[in-house]
Amino acid sequence: MKIKRHFPITDRKSDEIIAFYRGETIEVGQFLTEAKALASRLPDYRYAFNLSTNRYEYLLGFCASILAGQCTLMPPNRLDSTLKELAQQYPDSYTLGTTGFSYQEIENGTYRAGPGEIQDDDNPLVPADQLCAIAFTSGSTGKPSPNPKYWHTLRAGSFGNITLLLKNTAERLNIVATVPPQHMWGLETSILFPLFTDVTISDQTPFYPQNIAEAIGSLPGPRALISSPVHLRALLKSGVTLPALDHIFSATAPLPTELAHLLEKQFSTKVFEVFGSTESGIIAGRYTTEETNWHLSELFELEVGESGNLIRAGHLPGDVVIHDVIEKIDDHSFKWLGRHQDMVNIAGKRGSLIDLNRRLLAIPGVTDGVIFSPGDESERLVAIVVAPYLKPADIVDTLKPVVDPVFLPRPVYMVSALPRQETGKLASSAIRQLYEDILKKKRQDKEST
Amino acid sequence: MQTQTEQERELAELIVESLNLEDVNAEEIMPEDPLFGDGLGLDSIDALELALAITQKYAIQLKADDANMQQAFGTLRSLNTYIMEHTT
Repeated sequence: MKIKRHFPITDRKSDEIIAFYRGETIEVGQFLTEAKALASRLPDYRYAFNLSTNRYEYLLGFCASILAGQCTLMPPNRLDSTLKELAQQYPDSYTLGTTGFSYQEIENGTYRAGPGEIQDDDNPLVPADQLCAIAFTSGSTGKPSPNPKYWHTLRAGSFGNITLLLKNTAERLNIVATVPPQHMWGLETSILFPLFTDVTISDQTPFYPQNIAEAIGSLPGPRALISSPVHLRALLKSGVTLPALDHIFSATAPLPTELAHLLEKQFSTKVFEVFGSTESGIIAGRYTTEETNWHLSELFELEVGESGNLIRAGHLPGDVVIHDVIEKIDDHSFKWLGRHQDMVNIAGKRGSLIDLNRRLLAIPGVTDGVIFSPGDESERLVAIVVAPYLKPADIVDTLKPVVDPVFLPRPVYMVSALPRQETGKLASSAIRQLYEDILKKKRQDKEST
Repeated sequence: MQTQTEQERELAELIVESLNLEDVNAEEIMPEDPLFGDGLGLDSIDALELALAITQKYAIQLKADDANMQQAFGTLRSLNTYIMEHTT
């Protein structure tokens, strides 16, 4: 007979502090009481969309769903069309959490986390093979593709992540995250760390630099910030002063080395950069200012082949393809050389240029066109379009319902023809030249007015 | 018909300029139309860019009590009011 394995929902002691919630400290015991109480009140559905914006309420909802045998759905974005599509695919679902979202119609009911009435802080066990979350990637066909996260996947992954990220930190750490818990990077750090190691989370998700400074200041030391290059660049440029900050952890996009240096200098801190994907979770990390190579988490094996790179780990349901060009140094480290040409990554979301271009060319009235990444600081995609009867706003309006807002091209330039070769091929150098000519003409027009 | 005040026009120009909104004329931004989401279609990256531009021009730091900046800085008018209230 096969023995079913179980693991506790948390590895922390009941008197340790798990979160700062609305100005109060929450001990693990109280958290367990509340999570179990919420679990007993949850409606009888298989899947939950957890939309809580308060991080402690998200944590409560996430764990309560697990204890109720449910699975949290993590959509790749908050587009109405995406959420409706997912709600149709998973009709046995409800919304847990919050207000202020525009797709209330998919809800089967809204349940808010709150204080519990059952006094019971026993640490419950969760079956190792329970499906706890499904994290969706946008998928190159435009259809969200599911990545199952079992309890043993989340748990084993967390211990690997704790070793990789927290090996040089103080034993206790208080953290603020600017990234939402609904994204894998936010989930793996701000939701799972406090379940498995001595980390206390702030319930806030500060966005503007001044809010980030205040959220950090509201925590006792030692402190760490979980963030992304976009937020960190804004934080630096804003000129705000931060309270003592011991660590910054950055993921979702490559962190420019100069930015890492400036952050360390300005805020007297240490920057650790993390590499991962929704499919695999966190894979590797490095101190950006000191290291060029990435250190693979002890859980993973890397296989570099001609047809692509694979990541393998015992806690993952299957091998994961890495959508980047990398060079293996040895069993524990690799060098990142760049992204595959088709892939773009904006605001922590991965998109396919092939897919975007297909959508552009499918617009009635568009005879030719290209969406590309000019690769400048703003990260935005640019479109150059041949559509004699359309205006740029028509193009954007048509794409809006089906494309994640961060991938909408800006600006859209209209031209009479694209510089295609006789074979029909559009060379990237030709696009670049056309783009520069357009910019040059814009500048000249501006100067002459 | 909503009309922009002089200060709102100035802010509208900053929005167009700092966010590279080539297809939008500053005077066409309706003071009470949403800036984010369905209105002008700005997103969270824009919110950060705009916050930086506002910090540089008006020497104030934007703040929102939660991550939902769409509510705090929903329209040209509310954003302008916020700036006026926070500059001395």
